[in-house]
Amino acid sequence: MLGASLSRWTMSYFAAALACLIGAEALMAAGFGFPTVALAAPETLLLVHLTTIGWLSLLMAGALLQFVPVLVARPLQWPDLSAPALLLILAGLAALLSGFASMAGIISAPLEVLPVGGLLLMLGFGAVIATLGRTMWQARPLTLPAKFVVAGLAALTGTVALGETFALTISGLAGGEEVLSLWTHGVPLHALLGLGGWMTLSAMGVSYRLFAMFMLAPDAEHFSTRLVLYAGIASLLVVAAATPFAMMATAGLPAMLLVAGVSGLIALALYGRDIVALYRQRKRRVIELNAQAAIGGFAALGATVLLLVGLLVAGQLSSHIGALTYLFVFGWLTGLGLSKLYKIIAFMTWLECFAPVMGKRQTPRVQDLVDEPHAAPWFGAYYAAVGFGTLTLLVDLPIAFQLFVGVQLFATLAIVRHFYRTRGLLNVPLELRGSTALPHLFRPQSIIRSPS
Amino acid sequence: MTDHELDVRPLLLNGGEPFGAIMAAVNQLQAGQRLKLLVTFKPEPLFNVMAAKGYTHEATPLDNGDWMVIFAPGDGGSPAVVSKADAPETWPDPAHYLDCSELDPPEPMVRILAMLETMSEGEVLFALLGREPLFLFPELQARGHAWAGDFDEAGEAYRLMIRAGAKS
Repeated sequence: MLGASLSRWTMSYFAAALACLIGAEALMAAGFGFPTVALAAPETLLLVHLTTIGWLSLLMAGALLQFVPVLVARPLQWPDLSAPALLLILAGLAALLSGFASMAGIISAPLEVLPVGGLLLMLGFGAVIATLGRTMWQARPLTLPAKFVVAGLAALTGTVALGETFALTISGLAGGEEVLSLWTHGVPLHALLGLGGWMTLSAMGVSYRLFAMFMLAPDAEHFSTRLVLYAGIASLLVVAAATPFAMMATAGLPAMLLVAGVSGLIALALYGRDIVALYRQRKRRVIELNAQAAIGGFAALGATVLLLVGLLVAGQLSSHIGALTYLFVFGWLTGLGLSKLYKIIAFMTWLECFAPVMGKRQTPRVQDLVDEPHAAPWFGAYYAAVGFGTLTLLVDLPIAFQLFVGVQLFATLAIVRHFYRTRGLLNVPLELRGSTALPHLFRPQSIIRSPS
Repeated sequence: MTDHELDVRPLLLNGGEPFGAIMAAVNQLQAGQRLKLLVTFKPEPLFNVMAAKGYTHEATPLDNGDWMVIFAPGDGGSPAVVSKADAPETWPDPAHYLDCSELDPPEPMVRILAMLETMSEGEVLFALLGREPLFLFPELQARGHAWAGDFDEAGEAYRLMIRAGAKS
C-alpha cells in the first residue's frame, strides 16, 4: 500500500483550463458568439468548445488524475501519459477552434482541421481514460464514487466519438443520409453526453468523496447515492440508444430525450438530497469558503432544473436552450469547479511545499495558504453575475448580458488571482514560510520524493 | 490471583475507542495476572498486539453476542522477539497513542509526523483516523517508517500502527 502522491501534471491542466475559461468569458463579454449570433453559428461552437473542452474537460481531467488514486486508494497507473495527454488535448482543441474560426470566416483554414482536431482529442482523452481506467481496473471492486467516474469516462468516450462524426461530416470526409441526419438531429445527444454524462457524473462522484473528506461527514454508501448512479446511467443509456433514431431522423427521438430527461432529473433530485444530507451530517461546524462557495453551484444546478421544468411546461425550451445551458455550464459546473479549485490548489501546494519538513519544524496550516475574507466576495460577485446573465438571456437583452459577463470575467480574474497568491505562498506569514522553496506556478514538481 | 476485569462495552457503545484503556489495564497487570476483557465484538487485531507482549488468548462468545476474552501470560513471560520493521507482529506494543478521528485532513498527517519525530527507532505509534491517510503513506516511506493499518469492522475508523524508523 503506497497511498497516493501528488499528480505531477495536475497544476498544468488547471493552468491551461483557467486560461481557456478566461478566454471564453472575454469573448462572450466582447459579444462574440451567442446571443449576438445563433446558437448553432460557428462562433458559438468555438465558444462552446473552448469552454467545455478547454476549461471544463481539462479541469476535470486534471482533478481526476489527482483524485482517482484517492478514490480507489491505489497509485496512478501509467502516470507518464498525463503530459502527452495534455498536449494532445490542447493541440486538438486548437485545431478544432481554428476549424470553427474558418467556418465563421475569421481565418482561412481547410475544414479538414476539424476531424484532425477531433482525432487529436480522441488520442488525448483516450490517454486520460487509459491511465484512469487502468488505475480503477486494478482497484476492483470499486467504491460507489469511483463508479460515477467510470460512467463519466464512458460518457466522455461517447461524446468524443459523436463529435468526431460531426467533424467528419462538416468537413465533407463522411457523407450519406444517415450521417447527415445524425449531424442535424444528434447535437443534443453530443451535448447531453458531454455536459450531463462526462462532466456532471464525474463531478458528482468526486464531490461525494471530497465533501465528506473536508467537512468530516460520514462517507458511508447510501442507497440514495446508488439510485443517483443508476438513474444517471439509465439516462445516458437512453441518450446513447437514441443515436440510431437521430440517424434515421425518426419520430422517436424527442420521446427518448424526454425519457432521458426525466431519468436525469430524478438523478439530480436525489443528488441534491444527498448533498443536503452531507452538509447536515458534517461534524465540522464552521465550513471553509470552498464548501460555502460550492453551495452557489448547487443552487445553480437546482435553478437549472427548475428552469428546465418551467420551460418544458411552457413549451419554450427550444427558444431558451441558450440561457439554460449558460446557467448549467457557468453556474453549476464552473461555480463548483472554481470553488473546489480554491481548496485543491491550496491542499496540493501545501503538500508539495511542506510535507517534507512536517514535524521537523513549524509549518503553516493549509488555511494559512488562503485568504478567505478577501476571496469570498468574488465568489458572490461571480454567482450574482451568472444569475443576472441568465435573466438577461431569458428576457433577450444581449447588451446587458455582455455587461454581466464582463462582471463575471472580472470576478473570475479576481478568483484566479487568489489561486495565484495561494500557489505562490503569498498569503503565508513570512515566519512560517521560512526558507521553503517556492513551487513553480504550473509546471510539475521537479523532484518526486524518494526514500531519504 | 484474581483476574483483572475490564469491561469496555459501555465505552464501545458510546462510540469510544477502547485501545488506550486496554493498554492501560495491561500495563497495570501484576506478574502472572490474567486480564478478563469484555467486548462487543471479537477483538482480532488485539490478539497480535497481546501475542507480541507474550500473552495467549482465549475468546468465548457470550449469549448476547458479546465476547469475553481472557489474556494469560505465556510460559516464558515476555517473549524474546526481535522487532522487525517488515513484520508488524514482532513490534512492541504502542508507546504512543493519537486519536485523529475528529480532525480534518491534513491535520492527522501533521500530528502523526510530528509525533514520529519525537520517537526513537523501533517505538510504535497507534493512531486512530477517520479515513485512510493516503497522502501520509508516501511521506512515511520517504522517512523510513514502517506501518500497518486497516479499517475497523464497521468501516468507520482506520487503525494505523507505525513503527518509527531510524532518524534521518
